[in-house]
Amino acid sequence: MKPAYRSVFRELLRRELGERYRGSFLGVLWHLLLPLSQLLVLSWVFSHLLQARTQFENLSYAAFLALGLWPWNLFANAVSNSVAALTGSAALIGKIALPHHLLVDAKVSASVLLDLAGFAVVLVVLVLLGSPLKPSGLPVVLLSLVVLCIFALGFANIIAVLNVFLRDVGAAISQILSLLFFLTPVIYDSGQLPSEIQRWLNLNPFAAPIIAIRHAFLGLPVDWRHLCVSGMVALIIAYLGYALLRRARPHLEDYL
Amino acid sequence: MSEKNLPLVEVNHISKRYPVLANSGDRLSALFDMLRGRAPTRHTTVLSDINFKLMPGCSIGIIGENGAGKSTLLKLITRVLTPSEGEVITRGAIGALLELGAGFHPEYSGRENVRLSAALYGIGDAELKEKMLEIEQFADIGRYMDEPTKHYSSGMIVRLGFAIIAAVRPPLLITDEVLGVGDESFQKKCSRWIDDYVSSGGTLLLVSHSMYHVQKLCREAIWLHQGKVEMHGDVYNVTQSYLAWHESRQTQTSHVETRRASDYEFGIESVICNGLDASAELVFPARGDFGIEAVLTSKDGTPPTMMCGWVRVDGTPVYGISSEMEKITARELGDGRYSFRLVFPQLALLPGTYNLRVHSLDTAGLRLFQTWQCDVKISGESRAFGLMQMPHRWE
Repeated sequence: MKPAYRSVFRELLRRELGERYRGSFLGVLWHLLLPLSQLLVLSWVFSHLLQARTQFENLSYAAFLALGLWPWNLFANAVSNSVAALTGSAALIGKIALPHHLLVDAKVSASVLLDLAGFAVVLVVLVLLGSPLKPSGLPVVLLSLVVLCIFALGFANIIAVLNVFLRDVGAAISQILSLLFFLTPVIYDSGQLPSEIQRWLNLNPFAAPIIAIRHAFLGLPVDWRHLCVSGMVALIIAYLGYALLRRARPHLEDYL
Repeated sequence: MSEKNLPLVEVNHISKRYPVLANSGDRLSALFDMLRGRAPTRHTTVLSDINFKLMPGCSIGIIGENGAGKSTLLKLITRVLTPSEGEVITRGAIGALLELGAGFHPEYSGRENVRLSAALYGIGDAELKEKMLEIEQFADIGRYMDEPTKHYSSGMIVRLGFAIIAAVRPPLLITDEVLGVGDESFQKKCSRWIDDYVSSGGTLLLVSHSMYHVQKLCREAIWLHQGKVEMHGDVYNVTQSYLAWHESRQTQTSHVETRRASDYEFGIESVICNGLDASAELVFPARGDFGIEAVLTSKDGTPPTMMCGWVRVDGTPVYGISSEMEKITARELGDGRYSFRLVFPQLALLPGTYNLRVHSLDTAGLRLFQTWQCDVKISGESRAFGLMQMPHRWE
């Protein structure tokens, strides 16, 4: 018996999306309001309170931060949401035959879709407010986002499986993600760092797509070598994730 | 060989072991065992070396006591669980009604849950559009279809689950005694559907404690005992052996009675039947007056209640009464001892062996303390059926 994979996936995705604002008054409007209010807070704190500056001319610090923060959140939210992709569906997994990877896929897809929508809203507002974003950078931006998504999917599978065996993973992952956040040039530009440290920073595979997104939007040259390496690493992680899920599949029900 | 003659399910030497997860270290070592592709080191075995084939149109009933591994076996066949050893080969779709509302998310509406279930049965969008109306009509739960399933009664959950199965009409249906939940009219609808399904070539794999159902619906039966196949074969042979085993086990356990009357708050000091202190089997002619004299004890000085009952050897109750029901007070003998005398004039039991039981209860007749019993063989000849001689006349 083959399940209708597409229908199952769509149904799971619909549930994930619906879950977010179930029972809230504003519902879908939150998708619009949340990114806008976040952007408002950021620009007030950094541009008015702290008077932070960037080395890029014409670019406010809030805009600089937004260009890094949303792509990073796209990755980080997808990973941290997926912690419970399997453990949270114990009621389904233990009762009916279900392709397990669809649970993780749906979790990641829902998270990514919402953050992409948020990013789009933020970009539109930034352009309206006069930030000098170049539309010619969009292809590179999309490519970089795809790399981040592949990373997210790979780590999501690994973490969802590990969390079935050891619930400690859920607690640890939020700490690891916040450490990675500071090791990735999101709130700062890698150009501000001493060159010694910059070399080390390049080992961080998440740095390349984030830097590429910013540079592409500002019309600056993109470091293709690092972006390619990052993409390769992402594919390897994704492969490992699926391999781990395949190996763990027969045992998952026993530990849920 | 044509498709039709291939078994729907082949269960080849499967075993299932669950890991033991007593302390937190077990999970860590289980993770490493899994990564290295080994079986977990600490485990309990719930099923071992199960082996059978299920041919189309040849329904099998699975019987056994609680914890024998019946549900685990069904979950292995439906691929909810994966066997630790051996393999399960299945051909065609399998409809499963294993647990009440399994796979239904309580927060989502009936319709949304149907969509996911149907997709898991391999029904695509176009097909589901046609079947949704059919499912709604079969379930017959009206506007509840669009309410979250957490607001459903257990009957409605079964209706919806069964309606999906009825729409899918898989060549094999696996059920685990969930159909007894719906109301009378829905149960009739279900049994009609199942009769029709079986007679039109559908196959059942059925777990049930009702031997009647198993005998009615299945040709073969498998008796599982402590994770192993105890017996597999013709449905009548297997169910009868199973019932006989139950009877013998019940009589074994109930004879173990070593405590004395004084150990109980309300105890039984002695029971004398027709002037005999019955310890072994008592033989008594049919239709004679049967007298029971019992002395019960009470620790706190409140009078005890005596309950007396006749039970068939397989445990079927025949008749039972208590002194409290009939507002009888015991004769006080002093020292916390009380005597009862109970007579069954012209005992109406048909010839056969019965179990006579006397129980001591508290004054209100609520808490049961001690049980005394003996086998009584009613001698005589009668060609009537059943348990009791009923007064009757032909006119």
